[in-house]
Amino acid sequence: MNEYAILSIHGAIVAFGVLLMTPLGTNISQLFHERYPSTKTRRGQLLAGLMFVCLGGFTVSAQTLWMHNKLSEGASVCSGNTILNCDGLIGNVAYNTDPLFGQPWGLIGMVAFTALMWLAITIGKEPMSPQTPLFIKAGLGATIAGLPVIGLLVSYEIKEGLICPFCTVAHITNVIALIGFFMLFKLYESDGWSPETKKTLRK
Amino acid sequence: MHENELEKNGEDMKTMLENQDASARTDAGIIVMSMFFAGILVVAFTTNPIASGTKIGERAPIFSGEAYDGSSWKSFEFEDLLDTTWTYNSSDAPWIAVEFLDTDCGYCKQSAPDVGQWAEMYSTEQWIGPDVIFIAVAVEFVAESSRAEIVEFRSQYNNNFLYVDDLDIGIAKDWDVAATPSYFLVQPDGIVAWNSGQATNSLGWDAKEEQSISLNGLDDGYVQLNEAIEQLTLLNGGEE
Repeated sequence: MNEYAILSIHGAIVAFGVLLMTPLGTNISQLFHERYPSTKTRRGQLLAGLMFVCLGGFTVSAQTLWMHNKLSEGASVCSGNTILNCDGLIGNVAYNTDPLFGQPWGLIGMVAFTALMWLAITIGKEPMSPQTPLFIKAGLGATIAGLPVIGLLVSYEIKEGLICPFCTVAHITNVIALIGFFMLFKLYESDGWSPETKKTLRK
Repeated sequence: MHENELEKNGEDMKTMLENQDASARTDAGIIVMSMFFAGILVVAFTTNPIASGTKIGERAPIFSGEAYDGSSWKSFEFEDLLDTTWTYNSSDAPWIAVEFLDTDCGYCKQSAPDVGQWAEMYSTEQWIGPDVIFIAVAVEFVAESSRAEIVEFRSQYNNNFLYVDDLDIGIAKDWDVAATPSYFLVQPDGIVAWNSGQATNSLGWDAKEEQSISLNGLDDGYVQLNEAIEQLTLLNGGEE
């Protein structure tokens, strides 16, 4: 299958999550109301959207790890004569692992999105837990911590004069997850988190 | 008494809520860990990663730079020499011999005529094995060097192969080269088949069995580049 067809699948998962997080989510979430009644609430829609975003980030990161391994075998997975070229970046031994642990960036992405997804699922399962604000802040902090890493990877792209579309989707997904956790944070601060329970009672 | 019961009920309620929270965290943990391991398994079952490095069996680090071909300095890409589809005995794609040298190093000067001779010998019709492309990577370890010195060195020893400028020793660092001369024999697919600087000099890489094999050093047990070429190319792709 063409690499961009595969990329569009990851993109579609993320885009669906984004839609759920927007006001359009109210209509789209009707698909899940029967099976997941929590998606009737704004909180539920945001969390469901965030889970899809994290899933998309996870799958695209897994794909970059796969590419990393395939490239080491000598295969060509995403190259071309245009500026869009993953092989030149994921296959470049100078840039394709993190400088601290020497692990492929794809694996780092998989771990990061798994952790974010754990936070989203945990918050979704027990939204009234006293731990919830901590988990929301942890998600927010983790996604903010991802920004300098993205900056480093973008600097590699600039240095090489190439853009890795798969990596870029993972970077954008991290930024979307940041926005998602920020929206959760704002919602938690408002009465919209649990309209049936007064904010004062929650605290 | 009534107050004690209320207090106990309150504590029970608190414990129950804490258990629910813990249960939610565990459930979420099971879900995401399953997802993570499923992802890792898919990657593990569909790829066969090879480490990048200069030990035998590893994928040689690719490099690019400016190379002198006898007339001018031109851009050079090591990757262009590779045939990633090559497998054991699949084609007569050329092998690559990489020499790291310093124009001020005595041993490099001493071996330069031999290397020049081998470069010609392993690309002639008389040679029964696959062609071997020679590449010299000129570094600056001993004393200050220059492109002019590289050009002079090449012409002095009548070498007819490319000399790559690595005066900033960037390529040497990637290839873990700390001394000159250092020699590598690389399979057409980019896998290092022999490295003169490895702890056991007489080990080569068998592409068919994907494991190391012993080579024979014909004179003193120490394997030279030409001996590694003759034994490995004929074993892994030449005419038997």
